[in-house]
Amino acid sequence: MSELSTALVFWPGAVVMLAAGVFVFRTPSMTRAGLLLLVALAVEGLLFLALASQFLGVLQLLMMSAEMTVMVFFMVMYMPDPGGLMGMDMTHQKRTSTSFAVAVGVGLAVLAVVTDWPATTLPADAPDVRAIGFEVMGRSMFTFLFAGVTILFSMVGAVMLGERGGRFDLARPGDERRAEQETEG
Amino acid sequence: MSDLTPLAVLLLAAGGALALACLEQLIAGGSPSPVVVARRAAATVRQPLSRPETYDSWLFHLAPPLLLVAAVTALATVPWAPGFRGIDLETGVLVFGAALAYVTPAVFMAGWGAGRPLAVVGGFRFVAQMLAYAMPLTMAVTAVATPAESLRPIAIVDVQHAVPMLVSQPLAFVLFLPSVMAVAFIAPFDLPQARSELGGGVFSAYTGVQAGMVALAQKVLVLAAAGMTAALFLGGWHGPLLPAAVWMALKTLAVAALMLWTGRRLPRFEVEPLLTFAWKAAIPAAIGAIVWAGLVTLVFYR
Repeated sequence: MSELSTALVFWPGAVVMLAAGVFVFRTPSMTRAGLLLLVALAVEGLLFLALASQFLGVLQLLMMSAEMTVMVFFMVMYMPDPGGLMGMDMTHQKRTSTSFAVAVGVGLAVLAVVTDWPATTLPADAPDVRAIGFEVMGRSMFTFLFAGVTILFSMVGAVMLGERGGRFDLARPGDERRAEQETEG
Repeated sequence: MSDLTPLAVLLLAAGGALALACLEQLIAGGSPSPVVVARRAAATVRQPLSRPETYDSWLFHLAPPLLLVAAVTALATVPWAPGFRGIDLETGVLVFGAALAYVTPAVFMAGWGAGRPLAVVGGFRFVAQMLAYAMPLTMAVTAVATPAESLRPIAIVDVQHAVPMLVSQPLAFVLFLPSVMAVAFIAPFDLPQARSELGGGVFSAYTGVQAGMVALAQKVLVLAAAGMTAALFLGGWHGPLLPAAVWMALKTLAVAALMLWTGRRLPRFEVEPLLTFAWKAAIPAAIGAIVWAGLVTLVFYR
């Protein structure tokens, strides 16, 4: 892609992404919020594609769709007003959180502009998948293994806690007497 | 890629959907007739659109186009013939997976937007079904990409010039085929629309052009799934005597027939047994398939 066409995709895409991101917090419906977040993240994937980062772009599109749909599922399950029809206000500490979010956003934007990014331009047919493979299996192997095992442990933990009755199972009739007998005997 | 490629992909989607509808009639025991299929489609499209009076009805109207776009994009990534490819990227099979991933939000949106209890239940069921098929699907793709050392579908077809992946990696095939059937929500994985228990389920509220789009999208999904199975596991366009495109078409039709035939002969899977099977058997088996792929690659493909 030429620089002009990249810019023509990038800037409108960035505006759509930010607008969708803002509307995530403006809508009372959990379904809308989750799907708008999916819009923002999918457009971000398209921006990666426009910036010639093919693998990251496709991966972003692939992962976010399923993740955001599952998130909608959980938000509908746990929120007291998932459809946004009861006019409930589910936010709190508005001023603190808004000012904190704005400060962090501005800080990150300043950092992005001020940083002296390396200006290497890769050819369009650069083997980025292969490069990522060598990165994951080489220098960054320990990081990725650590992250992978951590995620696995949290998955197992979440399943255990989420199971009906939790870690210790549900109480059954006679449990107390059995526990007493065990401590006595 | 020429300027006519998008048009060719759309024509393929329409023609393939018609062919699949005829194949479905044939497998159901009737005589296939494109005229009857076209007449039924025309009758569906002429119905007036339904407008659900719900808060999120815009999700209802967005779902069929999203489903169709996802299906056609998946179709475009399938390598049909050496000179014809819609989307030919280095990460082609991932693009296939990414396109299929948008079936999930589309089905969910259709159910939620319709605002009918059974439709919402159908949408939720499909999210659960996605949790069952997503991992085996991507892991089977990883397994066939390993010998080709590439995620480009054409490279995976080329590496099968002598031995199809079905022979060298049968386990990955056994995992891949039901997974893509589940993406296309055809029987026995038609949990979201289950006619007999949810009364049409997630798509029951659609009429007219929107119902037509949903039906077309499902046919295109089956076509893309069958085509990708033929390309990744049956050697794609490789074969003696006949031209490459004919071999690919025959293999795709055979896989599609296998899918539809299986669907007519198996009872519908329920959510809980499906998820239990997926997470306790299919995903561990998929890890085994990847290990097998590594061994096969080191021993035979190097």
